[in-house]
Amino acid sequence: MNINRDVVTGAALIALAIAMAWNARGFPRIPVMAYGPDLFPNIIATGLVLSGLGILLEARRGTAPEQEDTRPTAWIPFVTLIGIVAAFTIILPWLGFHLSAALAFVVAARLFGGGWPVTIGLAVVAPFALHYVFYSILRVALPWGVLTPLAW
Amino acid sequence: MDLMAILSAVADPLIITTVLACTLYGALVGAMPGLTATMAVALLVPFTYFMDPVQAVAAIVATTTTAIFAGDISGALLKMPGTPASAAYVEDSYALAQNGQPRTTLFVSLFASVVGGVIGVLMLSLASPQLARLATSFSSDEAFWLATLGLSCAVFVGGSSVPRNFASLFIGLAVATVGIDVAVGHPRYTFGLDELYDGISFIPAMIGLFALSELLRNAATGTETRLGRLTVEPIAQALRNAAAEIRRRWASVLRSGTGGTVIGALPGAGADVAAWISYALSRRFSRTPEKFGKGHLEGIVDGGAANNAAVAGAWTPALVFGIPGDSVTAIAIGVLLMKGLTPGPDIFTSDATLVYTLFGAFLLANVLMVITGGLAIAMATQLLRVPRSVLMPLVLMLSMIGGYAIMGSTMAIWIILVLGVVGYAMARAGIPLAPAILGIVLGQVVEDNFMVSMMKAQGDITQFFERDAAAVLGVITLVVWGVLLLRAVLDMFGPRRARGRKET
Repeated sequence: MNINRDVVTGAALIALAIAMAWNARGFPRIPVMAYGPDLFPNIIATGLVLSGLGILLEARRGTAPEQEDTRPTAWIPFVTLIGIVAAFTIILPWLGFHLSAALAFVVAARLFGGGWPVTIGLAVVAPFALHYVFYSILRVALPWGVLTPLAW
Repeated sequence: MDLMAILSAVADPLIITTVLACTLYGALVGAMPGLTATMAVALLVPFTYFMDPVQAVAAIVATTTTAIFAGDISGALLKMPGTPASAAYVEDSYALAQNGQPRTTLFVSLFASVVGGVIGVLMLSLASPQLARLATSFSSDEAFWLATLGLSCAVFVGGSSVPRNFASLFIGLAVATVGIDVAVGHPRYTFGLDELYDGISFIPAMIGLFALSELLRNAATGTETRLGRLTVEPIAQALRNAAAEIRRRWASVLRSGTGGTVIGALPGAGADVAAWISYALSRRFSRTPEKFGKGHLEGIVDGGAANNAAVAGAWTPALVFGIPGDSVTAIAIGVLLMKGLTPGPDIFTSDATLVYTLFGAFLLANVLMVITGGLAIAMATQLLRVPRSVLMPLVLMLSMIGGYAIMGSTMAIWIILVLGVVGYAMARAGIPLAPAILGIVLGQVVEDNFMVSMMKAQGDITQFFERDAAAVLGVITLVVWGVLLLRAVLDMFGPRRARGRKET
């Protein structure tokens, strides 16, 4: 398990480095300047490759630190949480803050094991409370979306 | 530093209210299992965006001070330290709480924290102006070296695996390259999105790394925490016992408070390292070392005093050199930079009020913590019964609106999401997060100063060693890098050794 984890990590770092360096080739250079916008990305890419190789080497020699949390990932809640964030971001401008937040609260509270009374209470009360703090006190322009006719 | 200036700087109702509110907030968030002190600060930062710099710094300082203490609460009652800094003595505090002394234990750690914190502030306010005087007259050459040195120190912040610390640092630096570059104004890695031209906003990035990643971890592996039956002694009795305990061990408090400040001031060693070292020292000097780990107050006194002292200590390099001492000061530096203030020796003359307020807020936070911390202890069992199904969705929503509030665009939430997943993946891969946050904060500073110096020197890299101060800093930086590389090479090719301290 540990070996596998480190191989994936090392490979991912090296892949990221290659992508960065490849992309940096297209950056413009000005002849009078010794160093251009590609300098730091290339240094960083080199660093990523070296640390990726270091992690692979650690795995090979068995000196890598132990996995801190060995419990298996529960993929369904994990992906659901990502889905909540993505969906909230997409619907926020259309549905407005109150409705989007209420929906997000319903799914999130159920995800973290809340019963229906708690879930509904949270979804009804929390959006108004948060809206009051951010919109009325801090003056953040939270979108109203379809509720625009009711806006205050 | 004269005390009157410090006191008058905080004798402002706005600052006092801010500090009071934030000590309460820090106590509540720190006490919750799964919500760390760093997360408390990350969620606070969007609010500091709406404050002036002085108030923002006071808020951050007050929140961390109490959150580090409050981590002891869930440690003692659930054996789940609320913050890594409480992990050193969690065995002792949990055993004592099970023996029917939860409140005595927590008040001992509260009092030790308060005294340790005050020692830390006094040392900070005495030492930092002296250090700053040494460091004035720095140019972009020195600034480049200082930022580079800060980045190298990031490698010490993380866990025991050098390649992993480097990986984290370079991931942070990679994030910092996004946006228009300083040399020619070319957009880098923006994926054609105009909103990324200004770079990845620091606040959403941090919320993603420290708050959303923790939520993802909770969703993926979390189980509801159960508070077992607990006999709780009356508050008055607990207060008396705790006060007597601190009076008996005043020498330990002084020693660990001083030691904790010094450890905290080392770039990279934060409150958790300070607590571990003080606990270990306490055990060595104790007449009854065999009692440690089985429910002994001595280690709690030392660890508790040290971790709060370290919180103040960590500000020394941050204020004087702009090198963060731990991830919280890295966040604070990010906030100051966002407000157009560059921490460094000049801040003591150009923004003296800010510095005085910082010291004053620390002092005030430590005093008010007696009340808010006491309140958190009194309500501890109720606090820990707040269900995850309410807490986690609230943290989630606060993270998302917090980011949105800063950028005024849903791009912020996408950044939070991407970096949240990155942060989760890093945690699973055993890569520490702290170096990455330093990379994000300092990456831009390093590149800007490098380019400014190079334009002045027309590409002559030896320019970085021309000025005396720059040469000294440059050599120190190169030595640090040399030592780190050597350590990495020895780790890899030398004989296998058992790994030391567990990663925190």
